[in-house]
Amino acid sequence: MKKKILIIEDDPAVVDYLTTLFEDNGYAVYSAMSAQEGINLAQKERPDLITLDLELPDEWGPRFYRKLSSDKELKNTPVIVISGLSGNKYAVSKAVASLSKPFDRAELLKIVKENID
Amino acid sequence: MSGSILIIDHDMELAQALAVYLERQKFEVRIVDSTKNALEIIRNLNPEIILADPNGPAPLDFDVLQQIKSLKLKSQLIIYSVPDVLEKSMNFFQTDALDYIRKPVSSIELDLSLQKAIKWLAIEEKLEKNSREIKDLKNAQALLQQLFDEVPCYITVQDKNYRVTATNRLFKRDFGNEIGEFCYKIYKHRTTPCTDCPVAATFEDGQRHQTEEVVTSKSGEQYHVLTWTAPIRDETNQNTQGMEMATNITPIRQLQDHLTSLGLMLGSMSHGIKGMLTALDGGIYLLETGISHQDPERTSRAFEQVRQMVERIRKMVLEILYFTKSRELEYQEIDVQELVRSITEIIKPSASSHNIALQISIPAAPGLIEIDPDWFRSALINFLENAVDACSSDTAKNQHYIKFNIFLKGTDQVCFEIKDNGMGMDQETKEKMFTLFFSSKGSKGTGLGLFVSNHVIRQHGGTVSVESSVKKGSRFEICIPRTCAKKKFNPV
Repeated sequence: MKKKILIIEDDPAVVDYLTTLFEDNGYAVYSAMSAQEGINLAQKERPDLITLDLELPDEWGPRFYRKLSSDKELKNTPVIVISGLSGNKYAVSKAVASLSKPFDRAELLKIVKENID
Repeated sequence: MSGSILIIDHDMELAQALAVYLERQKFEVRIVDSTKNALEIIRNLNPEIILADPNGPAPLDFDVLQQIKSLKLKSQLIIYSVPDVLEKSMNFFQTDALDYIRKPVSSIELDLSLQKAIKWLAIEEKLEKNSREIKDLKNAQALLQQLFDEVPCYITVQDKNYRVTATNRLFKRDFGNEIGEFCYKIYKHRTTPCTDCPVAATFEDGQRHQTEEVVTSKSGEQYHVLTWTAPIRDETNQNTQGMEMATNITPIRQLQDHLTSLGLMLGSMSHGIKGMLTALDGGIYLLETGISHQDPERTSRAFEQVRQMVERIRKMVLEILYFTKSRELEYQEIDVQELVRSITEIIKPSASSHNIALQISIPAAPGLIEIDPDWFRSALINFLENAVDACSSDTAKNQHYIKFNIFLKGTDQVCFEIKDNGMGMDQETKEKMFTLFFSSKGSKGTGLGLFVSNHVIRQHGGTVSVESSVKKGSRFEICIPRTCAKKKFNPV
């Protein structure tokens, strides 16, 4: 069965990019444009990995992460922060990686691969 | 007694005797035996006292003595002679001679006359000194007045009720000749004294105080001023008046605001730019893989995405360029019909892709208009794009329209009305829409668009009015003069 990746990102162009990239590499991809939608989708689909933008229309990324951590079923899901904010390394300290936009495609795929199996 | 004395007498014996008497009293004495030689000697010697007997073997030479007086020397003239000559002398010289002494000369009379002469000399010297000092004072005062007037600050002198008692030239130019009016009335159009008045503080403690104020000139312009106050003391050292010196620092504040906004802008933009670059990366990835997978659907999606991103980046870069550079408009005469046609061409595809009906009405012969076509067109497109966004974001209605009406107001105004039945704006959005970096569109907006558009319209000497209600739609009316206002643009 394909591994599942959940993308939480509010820019549709970036969502399209990530979706296509992950699908091309053999993953099943779900995407949410807001934090609330992201939580709902995570609870429903139980993804193997989540990519998270820090600036979302309804909520600030780190708060989403706290909500995620408070859910026993989801708290061990690896999260990769992909954001345009500088210094994002410290925003979600438990994230497995923090990438700054625009990110290096090969690097992202490598990190995903390392954390998903 | 001391001083220099010239004796003019034909009777040399008497003159010698007088000289002996006077030298004994420490006078420096010279003798001339004829009035005719006297003139030249007086010029050279400049004696303080002249003792003269106009009576001699030659005819009375009053004329020469008169010439001596007309030299306007400091010399005091004392005439001594036999009684009838003395009387003639008195008639002739009147008060031009200091004293008249009868011959034979009594020593006490001579002494008193000489004392009188010395006293007069002293008084005249004092007078001369005083008038010299008065002249210096006048010059100094004129210089001070000139300084006061030419200082590149607004200076007022105020009494304890804050009534202005003196102002300098720059103040008069920008705030009028308002002697006797209250400071707070002139500067701030108030009816009561300001709180935290630096002049009041100076009256209180006699020290200098500094504040920063915003004042309004007689033409209604607002200036940021840095004020310094200082006490002015009267002759009894009482602090009866205060001086306030205000330096106009508006240009510095404007520059500071501009720099602050620039910093803010770069900060907020870098995030947006990073997002766009990521999306552009995405487009390129789709394009690459679309071609290599021979997937035409993906390739065309990729192409569309790259196109959109390039458009977004182009727009953002243009806005940054507009904002970072004060730029003079480049006016051209443009046919209004042609302008509207070119705008419609750009906005029509995006309106129809969202199923929005674009209705345009334009008068039969709208004529020419003087504008900077690039910027003015961009500004109008921006307003229209906002209308498209307002319609496409509105889920409450099925049918959407944008009405773009062009009409003429009076003889010299061309107006562009943009009306939509989109989502509308609440009061807060309406108030903030033209401020820098305000965006109601989340990650899609830079917050520069309407700010810049509004600036462009104002730079054209035009006005923008807005009406809007939530869920019903918005109406913008942009009116600009047909001929250019030629106003220099200040970016903030």
